[in-house]
Amino acid sequence: MIAYILRRLSALVVILFGSSFIIYNLSAISGDPLEALRISQDPNAAQQIITLTRDLQLDVPPPLRYFLWLKGVLGAFVGQVDFGMTRDAQSVTDAVAAAIPTTIRLVVGATVIAIILGITIGIVTALRQYSRFDYAMTFFAFLLFSLPIFWFAVLLKQYLAIGFNNFLTDPQVSAPWIIGLSLFSGLFWASVIGGDRRKVFTIFGIAAVGSAAVIMLLGSLDWFRNPGLGPIVIFGASVGIAFAVTQLSTGLAVRAALKSALAMAVFGLVAYYPAQWVMEQENHLLNFVLMATVTVAVAILTSRFFAKEDRGSVTRTAIITAAFVAILIIIDKFMQTWAPYMETDAINYRPVPTVGQVNDLLEPGNFWISSLDVLMHMFLPTVALTLISFAGYIRYSRGSLLEVLNQDYIRTARAKGLTERTVIMRHAFRNTMIPLTTLMVVDFAGIIGGAIITERIFGWVGMGTLFNQAINTMDLNLLMGVFLVTATMSVMANLIADLLYSALDPRIRVGK
Amino acid sequence: MKLTRISRAAIAISAVAGLATVGVVAPSQAATRTTVVIVESNALTSLNPSTPDTNLTINNDVAYMTGNGFNYYNASANLVKNTVFGSYKIVKSSAKDFRVQYTVAKGKVWSDGTPITGVDLLLSHVLSSSAYSKKAGLGDPADTSKAPAFNSLGYGGVYDTHIVGLPELSADKQSVTVRYDSFQPDWEITGPGPSPVHALVAMANGKTKLGTAAENLAAKAAYLAAFKSYNSTLLNKIAKVWSNSYNIKTVNSSTNPLLLVGNGAYKIASAVADQSVTLTLNPKYNSGPKTSGIKTVVLKMIADGTAASQALANKEIDIYQGQPTADAVAQLKAISGVTVIGGTNSCFEHVDLRLGSINDTDYTGPFAASNNAAKNAKAKDLRTAFLLAYPRQEIVDKLIKPINSKAVVVNSSFTLPGQTGYSTIVKSSGVSKFTAGDQASRTAAALKLVQKHYPTAAAGSNAVTITLLWGQPSNTRRAAEAALVKAELAKAGFNVINTGTSGWGGQLDNNSFDAAFFAWCPTSTSQTGTNANFLSDGGNNFIGYNNAKMDDVLRSLEAKLTPAQITAKYLAADSLLISDAVTLPIFQHPAATAVNSALKNVKPAPLSPTLVWNFWEWKY
Repeated sequence: MIAYILRRLSALVVILFGSSFIIYNLSAISGDPLEALRISQDPNAAQQIITLTRDLQLDVPPPLRYFLWLKGVLGAFVGQVDFGMTRDAQSVTDAVAAAIPTTIRLVVGATVIAIILGITIGIVTALRQYSRFDYAMTFFAFLLFSLPIFWFAVLLKQYLAIGFNNFLTDPQVSAPWIIGLSLFSGLFWASVIGGDRRKVFTIFGIAAVGSAAVIMLLGSLDWFRNPGLGPIVIFGASVGIAFAVTQLSTGLAVRAALKSALAMAVFGLVAYYPAQWVMEQENHLLNFVLMATVTVAVAILTSRFFAKEDRGSVTRTAIITAAFVAILIIIDKFMQTWAPYMETDAINYRPVPTVGQVNDLLEPGNFWISSLDVLMHMFLPTVALTLISFAGYIRYSRGSLLEVLNQDYIRTARAKGLTERTVIMRHAFRNTMIPLTTLMVVDFAGIIGGAIITERIFGWVGMGTLFNQAINTMDLNLLMGVFLVTATMSVMANLIADLLYSALDPRIRVGK
Repeated sequence: MKLTRISRAAIAISAVAGLATVGVVAPSQAATRTTVVIVESNALTSLNPSTPDTNLTINNDVAYMTGNGFNYYNASANLVKNTVFGSYKIVKSSAKDFRVQYTVAKGKVWSDGTPITGVDLLLSHVLSSSAYSKKAGLGDPADTSKAPAFNSLGYGGVYDTHIVGLPELSADKQSVTVRYDSFQPDWEITGPGPSPVHALVAMANGKTKLGTAAENLAAKAAYLAAFKSYNSTLLNKIAKVWSNSYNIKTVNSSTNPLLLVGNGAYKIASAVADQSVTLTLNPKYNSGPKTSGIKTVVLKMIADGTAASQALANKEIDIYQGQPTADAVAQLKAISGVTVIGGTNSCFEHVDLRLGSINDTDYTGPFAASNNAAKNAKAKDLRTAFLLAYPRQEIVDKLIKPINSKAVVVNSSFTLPGQTGYSTIVKSSGVSKFTAGDQASRTAAALKLVQKHYPTAAAGSNAVTITLLWGQPSNTRRAAEAALVKAELAKAGFNVINTGTSGWGGQLDNNSFDAAFFAWCPTSTSQTGTNANFLSDGGNNFIGYNNAKMDDVLRSLEAKLTPAQITAKYLAADSLLISDAVTLPIFQHPAATAVNSALKNVKPAPLSPTLVWNFWEWKY
């Protein structure tokens, strides 16, 4: 095993050396850094050419210049690593170090959501193979998958940002919108739940009428001016969550688990007002840690109280339920922040932004308002990236689960008389995840490479922007800095994926 | 998986609620805005835009709004004196002794309250004089292996070449007199500007806090002494600060306040790396025109044009100077509450024909000038034919007018439409030869000229093959131009090879090209700025043009002249270019600036600092 890893790591060195040499030389001959100066009408253009030639060592041919660069990088072994300076007089290390967090903020959220959503939908479509829901989701997923991000992002900005903000100046949900949203809701739920024709129409009717009623009710109650869920709605949703989590986690037959989960819903109701107070206090990090600790402790104690045996799975159920309830309470808190956020001079009733990472004019100081601002700026990029990328996960997880369901051990499990829930969640789902895990690892490595187009459209300066800028300005040091990070990440990710595969699947052995 | 009825109901209810959570809120009354948000296509990289690495638009814009000098360019590209800050005048003008005195008005202060004096003008000399740099042990700017201590853009210019001795400080220390070895026609744009030398000295000594008044005066005196005595130690320390310390992307409460000392209307309040710079009013400002009510200016980095126009539609930004394409301008005009200001920038496109050798590489193509009279006449006929058939009007109509409806064909290589003397020059330079009639008649005339030497030539006969250099294939406007050129010239018997070339700037001296079109972008209104293009040994003479008469005319521009005399010289030079048939201008590059309609007095200028030149007049 260790020999295998060492062999792979030494291959990594060779790959990085070869590819960096090729990339360096290809980029060096792809353009002329002096181009603009050659036709410059500045009286001292000649002096500027001398300066630039000196700074970029243009008098050294690219293959040799590569080794000058390599010398700086290999200085890492004697403690003097030097990735050089960018053309705008910044150290490459600083530029890359500043870009990575931005890229992570931009892409990680979207990737995680795409993975969760994609796998969930993929599994449901596999279980309902060739159903209306399967076709509907496949259609939508591929529709979104085929949209180019630069165009899709423009549409999102036009409708979800500009259009919505304009709508806020006169916030009356017009009849066409109510009808449209209700129809969409009806179609959605009818296709998800499915059944015979009568049932489909019933569900469609209930969902459409229900949606219309909720929209009109909330509008007339002036809920949108001061949005919030309130303890009652949170409690209602928590009960639903308790049932759903229990069903997936242990099955409703395990009464102790159901009781613990419902107890957590009650705990959410009891803790609602104290939580409001705690969230208003200073030192938010400590408060969050404290609240999380208390919640987990309560979840453990509750499950200990209800469960006499198989405490592990009951505790798990309680903690997952408690986490969802906590998320609801935090969402509620953000909803309460909505009105004060919109009233600030900086936002001025246009809360959905189209570019940037924060509003530069927003007064710092209020944790919740600043956080909401960051979230609002992440909203559109995350939606765009999620929607166009989750189709892949739907197809992978659907195909993977279908294959697993045809395996002999699934038949055996069913023959043993296990419940369908146990067969799916314990035997099928886990095996479905093996190929998906390796896919995720490689995907996360790709994240660091950045999303050139998305970053540009939303005005974020991450790794993609650096890469683009480096190519456009013939900034070789910067280009190589970005390249080294992304290349290392992808080679390492492949290694980790291989190791993980063998760890997850005992049938596979590495190094043989 | 089978869900129980109750959990289904729970899920359905929460989902309906979720779908319906489309927030709706009513607005209240907005306060009067005092903020302007400007889009920049690059991020701030330095507070000092005067080094080769940091000379970016945004750095210059920030420097312009946080610092004032003796003059600036206005919207008509005229140099305007900033009389609030001080004055300057010629104090001696003889053949070998030309002196200009710069005086800082009394009572002007830096943002930390330190008075601005003539001492603050003396750093300019260090930043521009190679001789001083060498003598003070600050390095030789012409050294190809090592950068000088002050890594300044100023070396190698007019000031460097013609300055004599050290600038002289007056007794009251408010004035500085610089001496040149001869009359400098562009003396107004080569003069010194103020730098906060006390802050530089303090930082060179490792200070990280603003000094007291006494400390600042002592620091200023220390600089003066070091300047006069060529004190290598202190100057090198200052140079390190000047060249490196200002290269910051982030400004916050931990930034050294000495870096932010300026004399502009605004001060940098904060800067977020790669995102934005926020400027707020400088309470001690008295070095320039009074501002009109804008308290905060944010320069926000958005590289993408569509993103910027949508941000404008979403009222996140107030001013966007766009990449002018027809689609982008149409998109901007469609936004309500936004005014689109058209116009031109300083660049103008032109077509050049190759005549002779440059850099010792022979050019022997169809346009080559020759000592053999018959060959020479043939080449000139072909050049004339090429320019006659060149579809300049069509290019303007099809590619430029959709962006700038007032665009016209440019007909002088030395002045642009609207500038002094343009109409006089165009009337008499002989350019009418290339403007008379319509394109069809000109192309027919061109074909006749070609047929003189190639009797079988006809439309599409490809009698003469011309290789055209025009730029990167990815530059869509240039690609469209090249396609129009090929199509029209084919009618005159020319076969134009118009493959795009990446790295074309380095190919301008490549003798395999017979013709090239690209843009000149003047960065100042220098009287002699075009000399490098057409002097036989000019640095920008990429056509191998070698005409003694032209050299005489251009050399005579390097003198003190009245506007009428300058026009006469330009007319003479333009006439030579026309009769030799070597180059024709085509169009001025269009510009488009979209502004929040509520914001008044935004008047983009063609020369740097294009957009922000009159920021003090902006108001809501």
